[in-house]
Amino acid sequence: MTTTTTDTARTPGPRALARARRRRAAARFWRQYRDHRAGVAGLAVLVLIALVALAAPLLVGAGSQSVTDAPGGPLEPPSGAFPLGTDQFGRSLLALLVWGTRVSLTVGLLAAFLSVAIGTLVGITAGHFKGWYGNVVMRVTDWFLVMPTLVLAIALATVLSRSLWTTVLAIGVTTWPTTARLVRAQTLSVESRPYIERSRALGGGHGHIMSRHVLPNVMPLVLAQTTLVISTAILTEATLAFLGLGDPTIVSWGGLLQDAREAGAVSSGNWWYLAPPGLAIAVVALAFTLCGRTVESVLNPRLGVNR
Amino acid sequence: MVTRFPPRSSRPRGRVRILLASGAAALALAAGSVVPGNPVGPAPQEARAADGGKSTLTVAVAQSVDSLSPFLAQRLLSTSIHRLMYDFLTNYDAKDSHTVPGLATAWEPSPDKLTWTYTIRSDSTWSDGEKATAEDAAWTFNRMMTDEGAATSNGSFVGNFKKVTAPSPDKLVIELKQPQATMTALDVPIVPKHVWEKVGDFSKFNNDTKFPIVGNGPFILTDYKVDSYVKLEANKDFWRGAPKFDELVFRYYKDQDAAVAALRKGEVSFVAGSPSLTPAQAASLKSADDIKVNDAPGRRFYALAVNPGARTRDGKKFGDGHPALLDQKVRQALFTAVDRTAVIDKVFQGHAVEGEGYIPPRYGSYFWQPSPEQKLAYDPAKAAALLDEAGYRKNRAGKRTGKDGRPLDFRILCHATDPNDKAIGKYLQEWWGDLGIGLEVDCRDNVSDPWYAGEYDLAFDGWSVNPDPDFVMSIHTCAALPAKAKESAATDNFICDKQYDELYARQLAEYDPAKRADLVKRMESRLYDTGYMNVMAYPNAVEAYRTDQIASITTMPSDAGNIFGQDGYWSWWSAVPAAGASGGPSGGGSSTGVLVGVGIAVVVLAGGGLLFAMRRRSTAEDRE
Repeated sequence: MTTTTTDTARTPGPRALARARRRRAAARFWRQYRDHRAGVAGLAVLVLIALVALAAPLLVGAGSQSVTDAPGGPLEPPSGAFPLGTDQFGRSLLALLVWGTRVSLTVGLLAAFLSVAIGTLVGITAGHFKGWYGNVVMRVTDWFLVMPTLVLAIALATVLSRSLWTTVLAIGVTTWPTTARLVRAQTLSVESRPYIERSRALGGGHGHIMSRHVLPNVMPLVLAQTTLVISTAILTEATLAFLGLGDPTIVSWGGLLQDAREAGAVSSGNWWYLAPPGLAIAVVALAFTLCGRTVESVLNPRLGVNR
Repeated sequence: MVTRFPPRSSRPRGRVRILLASGAAALALAAGSVVPGNPVGPAPQEARAADGGKSTLTVAVAQSVDSLSPFLAQRLLSTSIHRLMYDFLTNYDAKDSHTVPGLATAWEPSPDKLTWTYTIRSDSTWSDGEKATAEDAAWTFNRMMTDEGAATSNGSFVGNFKKVTAPSPDKLVIELKQPQATMTALDVPIVPKHVWEKVGDFSKFNNDTKFPIVGNGPFILTDYKVDSYVKLEANKDFWRGAPKFDELVFRYYKDQDAAVAALRKGEVSFVAGSPSLTPAQAASLKSADDIKVNDAPGRRFYALAVNPGARTRDGKKFGDGHPALLDQKVRQALFTAVDRTAVIDKVFQGHAVEGEGYIPPRYGSYFWQPSPEQKLAYDPAKAAALLDEAGYRKNRAGKRTGKDGRPLDFRILCHATDPNDKAIGKYLQEWWGDLGIGLEVDCRDNVSDPWYAGEYDLAFDGWSVNPDPDFVMSIHTCAALPAKAKESAATDNFICDKQYDELYARQLAEYDPAKRADLVKRMESRLYDTGYMNVMAYPNAVEAYRTDQIASITTMPSDAGNIFGQDGYWSWWSAVPAAGASGGPSGGGSSTGVLVGVGIAVVVLAGGGLLFAMRRRSTAEDRE
């Protein structure tokens, strides 16, 4: 009894070993990530925007979305009281922009997660079961790949009722094919390695191989892909909302642009209504892309030197 | 021919078209949607310029044509075009809306008021050369009386007709079952018998197969492309005199801001708005050169309709309206919590008049106001008391629930194309939310499907009202209810009230104008009390035109009246081309907003392009 305890104390168990290894890997990842200036800048912007989104109720107050007690007059230009002017209801556009951050980030993250989850599932299974199943699934993927994403998303958003979840679903189920193809390629390469054969010889089943050997090996790719898909998802969400296919009752950046168009802000030259949401969309999409690119080049040594 | 506005399409339209339109709009977004001036769809080449001395008046419209058949058309645009294509028996004077001769030069009732004799003019010819006679008019009315399919849009006028004959080419005799007050306001386009008797199924024929369409109005329709344009040419032989413009084009703009930009550039001469220009657009156009903004009292009302429990004529219930709305107290409480002053000030920004009775104040003799004790003035405390009285009390979570525990959560149908619907929906959510009532704003491109199916609780509703109020009153009678569940019918909102119906029958039979007006007012009072149709506002007609293309145009009524959607053809018939209307776009001074908009579009596009390029580069190397 005593010997065993001292043994475990001296030589750490497999769990502790794994934990220490992961910690080292994370530290190495962060060291390499730090070297990419663009990635750090993107991350800083994202952290800032995430903080703004989380602190929205504290920053601008819950009442700033209310139309009945809007403080300003309709379509006021920027002033001291309203740094970005007001909308047609007299609400502060800065406050609405802050609230819109939440929707854009939520939809972007959820839709990207959904899209990558579907893509990974399809990719791994198609790469693992190479027979007729893989063929059929990849033909379906090809079909989705050639379908214009936006048209498909519009069709879905039109048929379903208008809500945040519809937007997430519409984006998620239309943008997965690229991920699926990427993951399948990686799966094929991983499965040709000798240790998979060994594992199979030792009696590892399909589920074991896919979840224990293939998934951890495609994970870095999936992570990088997620970060990149988020920016596409945010852009698509804004587009759908701008086309009036979003939930009109929630404030989002695309929805603000749509409101601006409906109020006639474009032809009346009320630039303060149009410019901030447009710029916000561009900045967030860019930040996610920068992060995604950096993650990609850190995790994939073959992408080589710092670009 | 009163017309529902905002549009509620009378037949289900293909989703495909919506998709295509959205797709086009998406393209516009990608190409910098904020750059106005790109009409959706291929526009016919600009012909406004004085090429070959031909003058063209181009009107930007936001509504699409539902049907070119006068027997089916219900939308404002289509019925306005029919006024230009076909002459009616009588017309309304542009100045004060009194009845003036149309195809009929004189009319005479018999002493018992049951037989009306019209003298038909001899100088009206169809555009194919045949003479327009009483025979054409008699055939038109008889067709509507015998064919259900031909009675779709104007059936209410002939429901009381016994017999219509044409004893001679210049004499039309209508025999009635009961006296009918609308005999000098029969807003029915008279069609040429020799063309239309070849038509098989009137409920399917849309009159858009053979151009030019034979007519006898001030304009002849020469070309039409769905959701693109309607082209009309002046009828040089029109008996009242030829129109001054040679050509009239109604061009479809899905996006109102694009239409306004087209007006600024001179691509169109007139913008009607859908249903009117926004306050911001009106304000910015007022300061533009060579553009006149016409802001006049409108002929529409804008109301909150409550589903009274949809049912068929024989009493079969259908639809899924909230049962709490069957309680008059609940309906009145909802309206009592609506601050009409805020709606006028904030949403319409003064371009509307606060709603009272059903008929707009423009028709002074029929305009009715609730008495002080009857009036449901804005009073949230009173609304809460009414709901308490009706047995809907607040629970611990602050929600009002009925005795069965069902919370007061309502849906409101809103037109996705009408910004006012969405804006007022936001206010309603807050006003009613304070009372403990939930509201889901359900905005749709096509509201007619749930509407006819009775699957709504509340809805934003609005109609243009004619000088004669018979039609807008008739759509709330029990007789207008659908024969079968979910079928389209004349009814507006499934209202069926015995007291109202009795008054309706009496006013229709009343020839004395003062007595009839009194009956109409009593109907309005009854409608107000039921709380089924709560008029929030009478929106102004806010429209704009280029003064360097249109020298003068008649409004109706002539002082402070609207131009688009008149009860007659006066505006387009009277419009005079401006001397020396030059071709080139004249409104070069586009505003900073456009420039900034273009800037944003460029930034977004550049970002997108960068993203795309980076992804391409990375993924190519990624694959093993």
